[in-house]
Amino acid sequence: MKRSVLVFGVMVFGVALLLWAGWHNLRERRLAMQQAQANRVALVPGKGGQPDSSTAPESEAPTMRGKTAPGFTLVALDGKKVSLSDFKGRPVLVNFWATWCGPCKVEMPWFEEFHKQYAAQGFEILGLADDVDAGKDAIAKVAQKTGVTYPILLTDGKVQTAYGGLDYLPMSFYIDRRGVIVEETAGLGGKDEIEAHIKKTIASGAPAAAGGQ
Amino acid sequence: MTRVQLAVGGALFCVAGLAVWAAQIGNLNPSPAKAKSYVAYDAEPQVVPAGKRSVLELRFQVVGGFHVNSHTPKSELLIPTQLAFDPAAAVNAEPVEYPAGTPYSSSFDPTEKLDVYSGAFAVKLPVTAAAGTHTLHGTLRYQACDHAACYPPKTLPVQIELVAK
Repeated sequence: MKRSVLVFGVMVFGVALLLWAGWHNLRERRLAMQQAQANRVALVPGKGGQPDSSTAPESEAPTMRGKTAPGFTLVALDGKKVSLSDFKGRPVLVNFWATWCGPCKVEMPWFEEFHKQYAAQGFEILGLADDVDAGKDAIAKVAQKTGVTYPILLTDGKVQTAYGGLDYLPMSFYIDRRGVIVEETAGLGGKDEIEAHIKKTIASGAPAAAGGQ
Repeated sequence: MTRVQLAVGGALFCVAGLAVWAAQIGNLNPSPAKAKSYVAYDAEPQVVPAGKRSVLELRFQVVGGFHVNSHTPKSELLIPTQLAFDPAAAVNAEPVEYPAGTPYSSSFDPTEKLDVYSGAFAVKLPVTAAAGTHTLHGTLRYQACDHAACYPPKTLPVQIELVAK
């Protein structure tokens, strides 16, 4: 009798182990699914005018907000060398884009508009073409088609790494007068959102008393 | 049922339980760093008649929420989806036949009409293979976007196990 109770107990243990294994498997799958879902959501950060800190792909692109913008010297489409340090003391938007990137081309005319609108405050935009292999002509063609007149610079591979690797485009870094990145966006946001970031960048690090702006 | 049978049954249950548990533990570890791939290849072994022209259907799946340019995008600036294979001995592969894309335009820019693959798409590869087992190695080059961002062009390794008999 005792023995059959023991055997029964062992069987219950075996069944429990099987059930636990099944449950564990299900949980793992759910987690993997959630992770995949989260990654998808992360691809459209800052959409609803919401700062994108919570939705930025945490594992892929650590935020550069609050850091000093990495310096660079690149060749512009017209052959001139342009350095970030040339714009010291001015608010600058560094925008990474590529000829194959549709959403990039959507926001470039907006940038051009804001470039003109906020020029009086010293605001400058640098468009960094991420796909130099497309050729200077193709890059120039897109710049022309989008009506962009701000400098378009050809990347050198190092600048992308310095700015966090750029897993996808467009990516924009808003740098204030002190050279600090005050805002970072990934993916296409709304036009109003872009303007709000520009205003914030212009206001940040502005001389409080002397500015009057 | 005798006690011996019960004991054997119980022991078997335990062994099975432990085996499943061990398999689970094994599954936990190799969760690789998320591969940044937006297209998956549905690898299936292909069986064709030896020495006769057959058309293989290679199935791909674009991850939900993403799209890739078709083989014939509307602009020369866009990167087409392209499948290429290394030459293989005893297998004569003809040019790949691509499906037509579907029109797509983002809500941000309804004027730009793209031609894309999303969800499942199949590419045809006509082959003539000598009798035997062959492996074809190739790559699918694609460039993916979602509605707000684009990802640099990627290549997906494609391996076909082909049996001709």
